[in-house]
Amino acid sequence: MLLTRKSVELLAPVGNWEVLEAAVKAGADAVYLGGKHFNMRMHRTDTNFDNEMLKKAIAYAHQHDVHLYITINNLLSDQEIEPMREYLQYLETIKPDALLVQDLAVLELVRELGITIPLHTSVMMNTHNEHAINKLKEYGITRIVVGREMTLSELSLFKERTGIEVEYFMHGDMCISESGQCIHSGVVFGQSGNRGRCLKPCRWAYKLIDENTGEVLDADSPGPYKLALNDMCMYRNIPELIQAGVYSFKIEGRMRTAAFVEGIVKTYRRAIDSYIADPWGYTTDEADWKDLYENRSRDFTTTFALGQPTAKDIGFSGRREPRFFSQAVKEAGLSAPIVDKINPIAIKQPEKQQLAIRVADLASVKAVCQNGANVVYIGGESFKPVKVWTLVEIKEAIKIADSYQAKIVIDTPRTTMRRECSELEQFFIALNQIKPAGIMVSNLGSLSLAKRLTNLPVQADFSFNTFNHLSVKFLKDNGAVMAVASLEASYPQVCDMLAASPLPVEVIVHGATESMICDHNLPAMSLGFNPLENPEFCDRHYALLDTAKEVHPIRIDQYGRNHILFAKDLCLLPYLAKLQGVTSYRIEAQHYTAELAGLLTKTYRSELDKIKANEAAYQYDPEVLEAIKKISPRELGSGAYRYRISR
Amino acid sequence: MWKIYKLNLSKEVYILFHIGILQLTQNLDDAVRGFKQGLQNLGIQAKFTYLNADGKVEILPELAQKLVDSGVDLIFSCSTPAAKAAQRVTGEIPILFTPVFDPVSVKLVDSMQSPGANITGMSGMVQAQDKITLIQELLPTAKKIGVLYHTADDNTLIETNNFCAAAANLLTIQKIAIQTAADISLLEEKLAADIDALFLPIGRIVEENFSSIAYYADMMEIPIIASHGPNVVMGALGALIANHAALGIECANQAKSILVDKKLIHDIPVGITKMPEILLNSFVADNLGIELSAELQKKAKEIYA
Repeated sequence: MLLTRKSVELLAPVGNWEVLEAAVKAGADAVYLGGKHFNMRMHRTDTNFDNEMLKKAIAYAHQHDVHLYITINNLLSDQEIEPMREYLQYLETIKPDALLVQDLAVLELVRELGITIPLHTSVMMNTHNEHAINKLKEYGITRIVVGREMTLSELSLFKERTGIEVEYFMHGDMCISESGQCIHSGVVFGQSGNRGRCLKPCRWAYKLIDENTGEVLDADSPGPYKLALNDMCMYRNIPELIQAGVYSFKIEGRMRTAAFVEGIVKTYRRAIDSYIADPWGYTTDEADWKDLYENRSRDFTTTFALGQPTAKDIGFSGRREPRFFSQAVKEAGLSAPIVDKINPIAIKQPEKQQLAIRVADLASVKAVCQNGANVVYIGGESFKPVKVWTLVEIKEAIKIADSYQAKIVIDTPRTTMRRECSELEQFFIALNQIKPAGIMVSNLGSLSLAKRLTNLPVQADFSFNTFNHLSVKFLKDNGAVMAVASLEASYPQVCDMLAASPLPVEVIVHGATESMICDHNLPAMSLGFNPLENPEFCDRHYALLDTAKEVHPIRIDQYGRNHILFAKDLCLLPYLAKLQGVTSYRIEAQHYTAELAGLLTKTYRSELDKIKANEAAYQYDPEVLEAIKKISPRELGSGAYRYRISR
Repeated sequence: MWKIYKLNLSKEVYILFHIGILQLTQNLDDAVRGFKQGLQNLGIQAKFTYLNADGKVEILPELAQKLVDSGVDLIFSCSTPAAKAAQRVTGEIPILFTPVFDPVSVKLVDSMQSPGANITGMSGMVQAQDKITLIQELLPTAKKIGVLYHTADDNTLIETNNFCAAAANLLTIQKIAIQTAADISLLEEKLAADIDALFLPIGRIVEENFSSIAYYADMMEIPIIASHGPNVVMGALGALIANHAALGIECANQAKSILVDKKLIHDIPVGITKMPEILLNSFVADNLGIELSAELQKKAKEIYA
């Protein structure tokens, strides 16, 4: 590849006018910033740009031959769609160089309004494969921001296969969870990280324990901040980044001061220019590196760019943590959620309603079918030490379900990179023969693949972060037959979506739900074992114990990804009658025994039948929960239903 | 050493000063922004050496020394520890501080009126009596107030004492002490259900981790009166605050007195905010079923929805 000054873009974060001037002066090729609404930095009212300032900022940037991108990368509630429509129309008149988006609804709106501004996917869109990228290109996406869990070789591959422009967070603060897939702050605090209000539970102090015995496993650890990922810094790897095909070198930090941004931009500017001028003769400028290092906030990491991170990539001691945003809290139990105080809006009940249960093994398939399940989800991630579903077992499950007039729908992994996509292609073709009732997918790439390779009905799972009816429309337009409401949405927000949804909607009403999905092996990083040498270590059930004494189980899937569960399992049994317009009530029982899965099915079946028989006279009896509480592995909670609005 | 500039006060001549900024945390960005804005408004051109400890109190002395070594004409220090660190490394270079709550108690200055050799600034104090008045206006029936304070923060202790003293005959106070940030995790066990409101004095640990405090208070339907502006956005019912940006602007005026007007620092009293601002949160008020009076709404500088 022959390099020119145009081969690379240095992209700087801007929170206010002073930073804008500083970034431009320091040599940024492009800047990104947010308006007063709909962006990922919503904690402060005095940062970000109002409409008039946005216009001036664009004029200023263009005068200096600098591109300006506007972040509209929040999930939207139905109440926010109209304001977003107006905002998009305004943005069309001031012509920024691109918009960064997360919510699929924005893609719908852009199409509907004929917006001509190029679109970039936010890192929050969690794009991992070429199938997703090809789909996104149909919607005007010209660039994707790649997640930190991608290696440079992985991103090179899909860049080559799709020709998409790649933007990469190469310096600054990082999430340990896959972006867009952390719902911890949203569910616990009603302040969603996907809506710019993250309170950073990943920066809490934790002990690593054995979930079953409670034994503290990391008494000798260097510190309690198990999830406190260091700051990304690719300064020493600029040649690798450029040669991997990264076009836009993105600096994180829209809350940062002018002096901070100016310093970082200048340093990278010099390095990039120097590499482009003479790649052969380039060496890292050690004085600049020293300056960058000495003025660092946290210690540095290259996360997954160059390979799997280890313990050195975590700031265990917390000493360099610039500030904390919250402390651990006890998760909300079943008492006093806001749903008690709100009367449901009248939504027409769908003609057919179903009870669906996700389970981990054949024994559970049988148990839930015997107790009245209409649909059973199997497949997807299997959590160690439970074995992965084989084709033979899937056939067996279908046979069992058939005998109870129940349906089997096949789940697929939440994250699908190169390996998982290749496996999925073969799997989908096999499913055409096995003929389950449907397929559940968790990302746009899997959706595209499933539509291309099978004729089976395809449902879109909660990983799509479906927060409003327009994102459901997107899913419908792309061939999905059912959507799942986001676990971060509050009760009124779910109702708004249900009322306007163009597709049947599933609501998760019970079960162990995941707060984060991480590509890091957290126990291995804390305890220092190598999963390749000691695979049996991954069969143990680990958990994180926080300072509110809550226990967050860690489950490791067949790909090695770590799923962190909430400390309390969701239970909406008391509110079933208030959940009108729901087509599918779902229980997440893949972390339960067959016995509990069966009991839950029986209980929910019975309550749903009672409601259906006589809705007006139905009264919830808390007694029905007692047997469930007795054999549930964790306490029960109401999740985001505690809040009037998930902010 | 403080360089002597030949001043020509006609406007065409730019005066270039070298100003060091020593900041403790991102929380104080507004003060820095206000200070720079103030200097700009006054037509003072300055080159800045900006050092931010990013919350690491222990590196402040080293950063302060760096500023001294770089030959700055003045140090603008944000927070009490930053001011103390600067004071320890130089008795000559002028130091300005904000938002130090009570600079006399923490022995930064001899007195508010005659601060000392090379240091003065703007206090971030809002009178406890004024805060109590706001509580009474916001929650006229409130009798019992919880005061949540971090025991390892000098400024917090001062304000807690001031507040309790001022409340003596007006309100029943229940003090709730936390020793570490992690104590907030178990706040549920310490919050009494019968308190009518929770008052948060100034202090970094409580301000930063506000959302966890609000989480428990919200669960128990207890309104929070905060002392830090951003906490109102995040879910406090209201606050009476000294605007950090405004304090920064006042510090810029003091900087002009020192650098341009050549006034002796000893003659520049420590300033105190003249117009504390009322901030309210109507979303929280709605959730708690609290009505914000028209009068209060009118007086409020900002109402967050």
